[in-house]
Amino acid sequence: MITGARKGETSWLRRLAARASSKELAAFVVPGPEVARAFGLDLGAAGLRVVPSPRHASVLVVVGGLPEGLRDAASVIYAQMMRPRAVLVLGSDTASPLPGPDVSAPMDQESLSAAVARLRRAFAEGAWDPGVEDYAPEAAATETRYTCPMHPEVVQKEPGACPKCGMDLVPREVSSGESDGEEEEEEEAGELHHGSMDHGEHGSGGHEHMDHTDMGFMSMVEMTRDLQPSGDGLRMEWVEVPFGPLFPGLPGGLALTFTLDGDTVACVQSGSAVGRGGGCLQGVPVDDLLEHLGRIDPLSPVAYRVLALRAVENAAGVEPARATAYLGALEHERVVSHLGWLSSFGYLIGYEWLHRRAAGLQLALLRDDTGEGETLWGDLSDLLQRLRGATLLRRRLEGVGRLRTARAAEYPGPVSRAAGLPYDVRSEEKAYQDLGFEPAVQEGNDAYSRLMLHLDEMERSQEIVQAVGSVSAPDDLGVQDGISGEGDATVETPRGPARLRVRIEDGMVRSAELETPSGRHAQLVEDVALEHEVADALAGVASLDLSPWGMTR
Amino acid sequence: MTVFLVLVMLFAGAYLVAVLEGWTSTGRLRFAGPFWAAVALLGRESIVPRKPDRVLYETAPVLLLVSAVLAAAVLPLGPHLVIADLATGALAVNAALAYVMVALVMAGWGPDGAYAMVAGWRFLGQLVAYSMLIVMPITAVAMRAGSLVTTTIVESQAGIWNALTQPLGFVLFFLAAMAVCFLPPFDLPTAPGELAGGIEAEYAGPRLAVVRLARMVLVVSLSLAVTVFFLGGWLGPFLPGWAWTSLKTLVVAATMLTAGRYVPRLRGEHVMEWGWKLGIPLALVNIFWVGITLVLRSM
Amino acid sequence: MMSPLEQYALLLGMIAGTAGLVGCVYLIGRSFGKPRREEGKDVPASSGRLSSEPVWVRYHVRYYGLALLFLAFDMEMAFMYPWAVVYRKVGLEALLDMGVFLAILFLGLLYGWSQGALKRR
Repeated sequence: MITGARKGETSWLRRLAARASSKELAAFVVPGPEVARAFGLDLGAAGLRVVPSPRHASVLVVVGGLPEGLRDAASVIYAQMMRPRAVLVLGSDTASPLPGPDVSAPMDQESLSAAVARLRRAFAEGAWDPGVEDYAPEAAATETRYTCPMHPEVVQKEPGACPKCGMDLVPREVSSGESDGEEEEEEEAGELHHGSMDHGEHGSGGHEHMDHTDMGFMSMVEMTRDLQPSGDGLRMEWVEVPFGPLFPGLPGGLALTFTLDGDTVACVQSGSAVGRGGGCLQGVPVDDLLEHLGRIDPLSPVAYRVLALRAVENAAGVEPARATAYLGALEHERVVSHLGWLSSFGYLIGYEWLHRRAAGLQLALLRDDTGEGETLWGDLSDLLQRLRGATLLRRRLEGVGRLRTARAAEYPGPVSRAAGLPYDVRSEEKAYQDLGFEPAVQEGNDAYSRLMLHLDEMERSQEIVQAVGSVSAPDDLGVQDGISGEGDATVETPRGPARLRVRIEDGMVRSAELETPSGRHAQLVEDVALEHEVADALAGVASLDLSPWGMTR
Repeated sequence: MTVFLVLVMLFAGAYLVAVLEGWTSTGRLRFAGPFWAAVALLGRESIVPRKPDRVLYETAPVLLLVSAVLAAAVLPLGPHLVIADLATGALAVNAALAYVMVALVMAGWGPDGAYAMVAGWRFLGQLVAYSMLIVMPITAVAMRAGSLVTTTIVESQAGIWNALTQPLGFVLFFLAAMAVCFLPPFDLPTAPGELAGGIEAEYAGPRLAVVRLARMVLVVSLSLAVTVFFLGGWLGPFLPGWAWTSLKTLVVAATMLTAGRYVPRLRGEHVMEWGWKLGIPLALVNIFWVGITLVLRSM
Repeated sequence: MMSPLEQYALLLGMIAGTAGLVGCVYLIGRSFGKPRREEGKDVPASSGRLSSEPVWVRYHVRYYGLALLFLAFDMEMAFMYPWAVVYRKVGLEALLDMGVFLAILFLGLLYGWSQGALKRR
């Protein structure tokens, strides 16, 4: 029996439907398909079709363990999937609070294919079962609260009358987690938005939960008198819409909330559900530092390992002689990371060809870790050429997500390079200077120039990888035990410069400070999304190439 | 009898278009694909979102299917293979397609979900853009045929197809047809990346099966409309009429399905701007062009 | 040849038939069993957060200027259909008549364009 079976005895009809379900596996990926691709897993080739809505999905695929911040969201998503449903966990054994995984497998492509075959058998045999229980996680529980339509800040547990205007309170469902923090949220928000007002004057059918009859007739002007006017002078009602943490177009874990005025973004709240807490590196033995840092961000692990290596070498006073040997790995990862970003971006803007092609190239590059695949580099050049000549892509993205140059200058990295400021950590490193490296720069400071910048950077990284030859990543520190000292190192990760300062005593990390690029770039989300149409806002946010794993919670 | 035959062919066409769509996304032609997908959908649960507008939520899939079937009902598959050869056939196609918008706005409003709501209203904006571009080329075609009867329109192309004499109208109608059945790059209402499935997001199980079926039938109807109005319908040597119509319809449907994958989704405001600043003047030019050539030919 | 009334009756029958087909599909789906009512399942899916806030609000569409122009052109198209049918018979006179009408409407379109009605508000 699969964990999400439907209740009943099997009959010939149900067996047919079960067999059909096993042939058509639709997957919803947690934390996101970009993470699966970063681990080298090709879900499509294994037979899983990735779908954007949990209601169309039959399998919940958890890649690489369920981070704590995503537990609630994942259980809500699972609760919203239609039965028969199953859980597939890759790279871990459990995924609580989801029901025990139907199939779990290590994270490589052959195991994935075998796991999908097992899943198909599980569906064909166990999609119906007489002994089925409800799935009731805490996160999906809802309660009824009573609120006043005119004063949404008045929330009570029992029905009654509003203390401010005397109207009857109407019932509203809120999730149990929300209801505790609701009052604080209303104060924090501070803006005038009446997202919870519903009224029945649209003539669209009966709204039983809405009751304005006892208020007497109210004209539209009266009802919207207190609302804030929008850009064109009309007063409309705003709705708060979550776009995360498990939104298919954005990186998994990025928890955006847009307050929409029609289809324009009026307010933005952003955060990360998978960000790292502070002080996670304290007390770690130096030998394990490489592993720890490599696990922080699954989207660019090599860069963080090189960062750890350089910081420790700096602390030990060792000359960074091996820095050259890791140039190839860094640049190879840059190409892979940019391709992954291109693929997600293509999915977001509905450019199916780009989504497929970039994903295919990324997976091919990850599989071929010798860095010598000539055809792959040729394919990459083809892709770059086609994208540069795509006029409709330019029309789509020009002007989207524009920042002021002064603002972009505060955030060194790809964002500032796309605004014409050529700051790049790599141009100060001797190994890069020897290879004649020059940072890629674009003018324009909008989503299109960021896209072009990524393409230019991929080209340069390709040249470096072909010049260096080896792409092996660091896997050991090569310093003796019991070192002490203070180390400070910076590395240009694919998303911007990351800096690590460690204080080591007797081979243990006493204190560490890690600055990640996405942690800083997260503050640009509001600049990029405000007052844009929702699709443009999402494209702008995606163009910043944020990694929610590097953001702080 | 003809009714039954035409309906069978219509749904067979919808099945083949579903196979074609599977081919464009996976690269393999699986002829049993839609069958298994349909059975799997029937076997899934289907719940109604909480506090929906029940009437709108339930009516939307049905209305989408009805409008697609009605649009196809007035289009001929062969010289006498049409369900209802109305005297105002070309107008009836337009009238039936107007209900696609009604169905999608209903689907957007019904489930009381944020993504569906935004998607529904975006489609209304898309309609404001494409609607004139459906009507004006049909008018030009009717001018040449001197009648709105669809069989007469096909017969008027006996010498040369309308696509060749009115290329502007053909291109505009083709693009507008892609916009009506919200295929990429016009898939604003069901944007998988931007709105997590949009209007389709809240339908599951048998209701989703009906929505998908309706979408396939809509694609077939619109391809049939393009064929009948611009590509000469059943006219052609050797093969019987219905074979030519089927062939042309499938080619048009395949082109519609594949063309959109190589282009990013158009921004809502671009669809509206280009539709009105570029599309309508061109459509008017097309009408004048056809008018002038007809007057010159009759002189 | 059927009379128009018979044709419309046939179309009405087709509407009923399609609705019946959909009903049959739903019945087949129902025969597989009733759906289980579980916590959170019927809240509209919004990427991992349960937000059951009603979204039936006054939606701020941005294309209302364009919608008004569309109404004008739609009324024009209602006149153009019969005109198109008799065009060949009437000849040049029809071209001139409709030309004037379309030119006036086109001027309206240009005016709206200059006033920014075709842009997103």
